Amino acid sequence: MEKQTTTHSFIVPIGPQHPALKEPSHFRIAVDGEIVTGASVRLGYAHRGIEKATESRTWIQNLYLLERICGICSHIHGMAYCLAVERLAQVDVPARAQAIRVLFAELERIHSHLLWLGVAAHEAGFDTLFMYSWRDRETVMDILEQLSGNRVNYSANVLGGVKFDVDQLCIESILTGIDFLEERTQYYLKVVSTDALFLQRTRGIGTMSRRQAEVLGTVGPTARASGVDRDIRIEAPYAAYNQFPIQLTLDDKGDLEARVLVRLRELFESYRVIRQILSDLPPGDLTVRMPRRIQQGETVLRVEAPRGELFYFVRSNGSDMPERIKVRTPTICNLLSVVKLAVGHQLADVPMILVGIDPCFSCNDRTVIVDRANETSRQWSWKELRQYGSTYYQQRAT
Amino acid sequence: MEAPTISNELRNLFSLVLFPGGCFLILLGLSYEWVDRKLLARFQNRIGPRWFQPLADTLKLLAKEEVVPENVDLRLFVGLPIVALTGALTAGLYVPILGVKTAFSFSGDLIVTLYMLSLLTLCMGLAGANTLDRFSLIGATRTLTQLFSYESPFLLALLGPALFSSNWQISEIAASAGGRWLLLTQPIGFLVAIIALMGKLELPPFDAPEAETEIVAGALTEYSGRGLALFRLGKGVELVVGLTLISVLYLGGIADPLTFLIKTMALLFIIVVLQALLTRLRIDQTVGLWWRYGALLVLLQWFVIILL
Repeated sequence: MEKQTTTHSFIVPIGPQHPALKEPSHFRIAVDGEIVTGASVRLGYAHRGIEKATESRTWIQNLYLLERICGICSHIHGMAYCLAVERLAQVDVPARAQAIRVLFAELERIHSHLLWLGVAAHEAGFDTLFMYSWRDRETVMDILEQLSGNRVNYSANVLGGVKFDVDQLCIESILTGIDFLEERTQYYLKVVSTDALFLQRTRGIGTMSRRQAEVLGTVGPTARASGVDRDIRIEAPYAAYNQFPIQLTLDDKGDLEARVLVRLRELFESYRVIRQILSDLPPGDLTVRMPRRIQQGETVLRVEAPRGELFYFVRSNGSDMPERIKVRTPTICNLLSVVKLAVGHQLADVPMILVGIDPCFSCNDRTVIVDRANETSRQWSWKELRQYGSTYYQQRAT
Repeated sequence: MEAPTISNELRNLFSLVLFPGGCFLILLGLSYEWVDRKLLARFQNRIGPRWFQPLADTLKLLAKEEVVPENVDLRLFVGLPIVALTGALTAGLYVPILGVKTAFSFSGDLIVTLYMLSLLTLCMGLAGANTLDRFSLIGATRTLTQLFSYESPFLLALLGPALFSSNWQISEIAASAGGRWLLLTQPIGFLVAIIALMGKLELPPFDAPEAETEIVAGALTEYSGRGLALFRLGKGVELVVGLTLISVLYLGGIADPLTFLIKTMALLFIIVVLQALLTRLRIDQTVGLWWRYGALLVLLQWFVIILL
């Protein structure tokens, strides 16, 4: 995907290899002195063909593959897939399993938002905040490790339930950890809203009006910072969010400061829900039997990942493998706003604006051909793609 | 000037190459760089480097191949790091490193020292402008922009004590202050001097010229191996010389190695705390800060000195 707003001028390339980006992506920033006059984005450096690969794996194998779409929000991908497949199979998952899924999802949100706070501080050149927030993030990583044995890919979901139970010992350590993190988050909230120099880098930078946010199709905290009152956990509660409702976190300023504040305030909501889940954890089984073949049908499922709306489309033809799985990650919705917002700002603000959407590139790389002249678009077939790949590299070799 | 005898020549050579200039100054620069890095790391809840890490980095860089990019002026590319380090080392000859009497001194050496201290930044700007790399070019622009913003406040701040004692020779200024701490009578000048030193060394929050998240390594992006090592050594030396200069002028002079260590380390401590506390300024914010506040405040200080 490439959006052209670049004209012929001095172009600063950011990426695919650049210290500001931890993942490959290419931004061409046209500058006049320090002022950005145009920006374009090129994706596709980490295209892994996961959607295609799911079609040749069984429903169970796919769970492990889809969990690895994103390194940070691994649980939410597995959970979205499980929820979709369970809906197709018309299986009711025990209430305890759903609650534990939400528990994992909220712990993951805490770890993702704290990680983001550190990255944002680093881009702004405030490394002390970066180091502190990552140190405190270890608390939630330890909790996740204690629960599941893993720090990153927890693999908590199975089709029809969850693998791990929460015992009394876990509950106590989670509560202690959450208490500590709540106190620290309060402190960070104070830092980011009072530190004069940090505010100089965030206040009034990359301001996106509510209208712009809607037109550009942004999702998640990025949209909520511009006053768009959308959160899938509230709009269409899934898993156990009906029993443990979430309060909407909104800000209407739309600048980077608002994006920082929305993410930090969301953390308090996560802490509250985690406490609530732990105190009224429903009793019962963890799993329910799932058929090996999923009956024919298709479904769409939306969940709220830490970065925003995550969209899953799953179609089954009645066999033990899916016919089509389509994933749309939040970053692809938010990315265009960067290209739009960067124009007119200083070059120094571009990394901040980019990080403001909490980008996650490997999740969103895909191939769609858009013919701008004829205004048509089409998907490539696997065969065409392979053919293109081999001729491209043959030509390069000669 | 004494007559050039053999023993005099040898003594001059000794102070140029071994102590207090040359090798000793370079090693001192590396140790101060270590203190800076270690303290900053401890403030940021990190472990920090081992004591020999700056030396190890330098030796490693010196041993590496120097990649010369296409389309650069080779003489400039090779020569600039050498000039930069030489400038910093020369500046070190006129300040009382470790509290010993300076090897070379003449009336007006303060101006020469200040000029030599700027040489490093100037060389870095030229080195960035010499290559075709976009990050280097933007880095060079920012380096030079920053140079123009902090240079005059720095100059004015360090000339405050000189004005006070009506002398332009570093040792004479220290002597006429007679151990009094000018920090107490000229607090603004002191503050501006120490913050400008951070700008000179491109330390956070004035590291916009080498902001890695925007322009990789700024002006020095294309440098590797020997050239990079020399620039880094130059920065270490400049750190020591700058700290010494401010201690001499504002903290009541330096009489012996102990006071040298205490005073310069105290200043370094202040610098590290500021580095840990502050967020990087954009280049326009840096310029605004210096011209709107720094320069005006120093001028105010000058008026007070002149009127009194």
